[in-house]
Amino acid sequence: MLGDYTYVVLADDDEDDRLFFIEAFEELKIQTKVAIYKNGVELMQALNQLDAVLPNILFLDLNMPMKSGLECLKEIKSNTRFKDIAIAIYSTSASEEDIEDTFVNGANVYIKKPNNFNTLKKVLSDVVTMNWQYHTNGLNKDNFLLRL
Amino acid sequence: MTFKTLYSERFLKIIFGLSLFIVLCMGGLAYQYIKKLSHTFEDVQYTYQVHIELEKLASLLKDAESGKRAFIISKDSTFLEPLLLSNQKLKNSLNRLKSLTNDSPAQQKNIRELEVKIDKSLEIFEKTLKLAQTNKIESPQFIAGFYEGRRTMNSVRFKIMEMTAHESDILGIRQAKSSKTLSTAPLIVYYVLILSLIVLLLTYIQISKNLKSLKEKNELLETFKESTTQSEIISKHGNWIWNVEADTFEYSDNLYRLLGEEPQSFKPTLENFMSFTHPDDLNKLTEQVNKMIENEDLPFIHYRIIQNNGTIKHFKAYGKVLVDSNGDRKLLGTTADITDEIENYRLIEERNLELERNNKELASFNYVASHDLQEPLRKIQTFISRLEDKEDKNLSSNGKLYIERIKSSSVRMRSLIDDLLQFSRTNKSEEAFEDSNINILLETAKHDLAEIISDKRARISSDKIPSMRVIPFQIKQLFLNLISNSLKYSRANIAPVITITYTQSKASELPKVKFSKHNLYHTITIKDNGIGFDQDYAEKIFVLFNRLHNKNEYSGTGIGLSICKKIVENHNGYITAEGIPNHGSTFTFYLPLT
Repeated sequence: MLGDYTYVVLADDDEDDRLFFIEAFEELKIQTKVAIYKNGVELMQALNQLDAVLPNILFLDLNMPMKSGLECLKEIKSNTRFKDIAIAIYSTSASEEDIEDTFVNGANVYIKKPNNFNTLKKVLSDVVTMNWQYHTNGLNKDNFLLRL
Repeated sequence: MTFKTLYSERFLKIIFGLSLFIVLCMGGLAYQYIKKLSHTFEDVQYTYQVHIELEKLASLLKDAESGKRAFIISKDSTFLEPLLLSNQKLKNSLNRLKSLTNDSPAQQKNIRELEVKIDKSLEIFEKTLKLAQTNKIESPQFIAGFYEGRRTMNSVRFKIMEMTAHESDILGIRQAKSSKTLSTAPLIVYYVLILSLIVLLLTYIQISKNLKSLKEKNELLETFKESTTQSEIISKHGNWIWNVEADTFEYSDNLYRLLGEEPQSFKPTLENFMSFTHPDDLNKLTEQVNKMIENEDLPFIHYRIIQNNGTIKHFKAYGKVLVDSNGDRKLLGTTADITDEIENYRLIEERNLELERNNKELASFNYVASHDLQEPLRKIQTFISRLEDKEDKNLSSNGKLYIERIKSSSVRMRSLIDDLLQFSRTNKSEEAFEDSNINILLETAKHDLAEIISDKRARISSDKIPSMRVIPFQIKQLFLNLISNSLKYSRANIAPVITITYTQSKASELPKVKFSKHNLYHTITIKDNGIGFDQDYAEKIFVLFNRLHNKNEYSGTGIGLSICKKIVENHNGYITAEGIPNHGSTFTFYLPLT
């Protein structure tokens, strides 16, 4: 936490999803600061700047042009500087393959993008207020996918 | 087989040697008997000669005696003539006797005694004769001499008789001996003859037996040859023999045919065969053949040949060394025309590639369906929820209705996409099979449906089901789909009653099982008291997107039962449905008992 707010970052190439994301946090009225990147390349550039403020929670879309969410995940996990960032996969699909890949590569939670705005709000609120310490210790493949 | 032939051969050799030996023995024996016979004959003859000689001796003495008496009575000197002659004759006769009996010491001794007696008798004879000539017959010397002469004469006679008797004894012994040998001789010859006849008979039997079995084997070989020729033609292969020692080849008729030539139309040599080989394979084949000559063994080789009409054929050859009964090595080879197999293989390979391509396309379609199709749909749904939340008061009642319709359509589209995805993901993979407790899978499925079960006040009962080797999540899905199907198509105002039963069925009793390697099938039946269906649609309901009811009456995508069918087929089983309208439906699936 930076002071009394949570720093949340989203990397997603979809304009509508970015809009929903921002609107949801606006309506949630939780103390958060939200930053948005349009793709993986932009995200990694920002993170790799030495004076960059690192997010508490990073929401990663998987299917992005140039640099996919999985590639970003691998890069982040291979750098100890980013070891404190909680990573939430934020994807349209919830295929077994994607879940398996991201779990193995060290993501903390997998969110399937909801098809209802109210559900989205609830999910985001749950994730932001989640006790990461507790969640990460008991993490396994079954509770990795966040049940809606 | 080889051993048996050798045994019979040895038997014949022994028999032949034995017969030869017996015949030789017989010849030897016969020779000996004939020799013995002639000996006996000679002996008898000799004894008779001795007899005659002795008789002669006795008669000469008698003649002399009677001559002397006649002279004494008549005083006529002519009576003395035989006397003078007999003296010489006696000597000759004695000499002959001596030579005749020189092999018998007893007779020799007798002859010597006889000679002494004869000499003495002749001396007395002379003395008495002189006295008689001087007419002193009345003198006491004469009378004494006369008596003495008679005594000695008697002793001579006695001796001769003794000798005759002795000779007769010898003859008797010899005759008895020879008659004994002569009488046993024919018997022995007869026995030997019988024996050799038996041996001959045995030989004949053995030879005829051998001939018979040879004939049978010949016939068998002939049949075998015929069937080999047939099988060669049918299975498109040819045989060849390489006589290693003589370095000659023999080709079967069909090998020529495989080369596109008339049988035995050219000399079977390596060079002639090589001339058919495809130029690209010539080096490979030459190398293999050289190895074959070196190692006297030919592993599987594959090459191509070109027939004279230009057709290219694929050949496969194999050879193995065999040592025949003479110790000669032969390489028995088989060459098969595998052109068809190669063609089929190519075809299958092509199809496999095509299938692989199709599978890849399907996989990418899956991805499109799962991701790209869902994304816009999800956004439509999210925007609707935004509209409902934020713009609700700005919408007319019609607008609200339209929004409601869009919403339900998008919900339906979502479930269609989800089901379709599930259908395409229901695949068979051997690794996924594990021994599973089916009862637990059933309970899990029921748990997933807990809400709707309690809403509908449904009662579900089930038998205890044994463990099976299955893909667990698919079987769970199968129960889930079938039970939710029963719950969905329940009759209004009647609480659903679902009965799940388990039995085992024999493959022979199942009409749909025709060529199964399994004998027994697990049979699981799910029976409900729902709306049922017309039996005419029993097959149709399993076809993808087939629905018996209007969307408005019952929600559903028409994919659920197709997934069930696919799951059961993934497990090498099958599923059937029976329905009675307004009464209920029964779904039965059969899984092989492994």
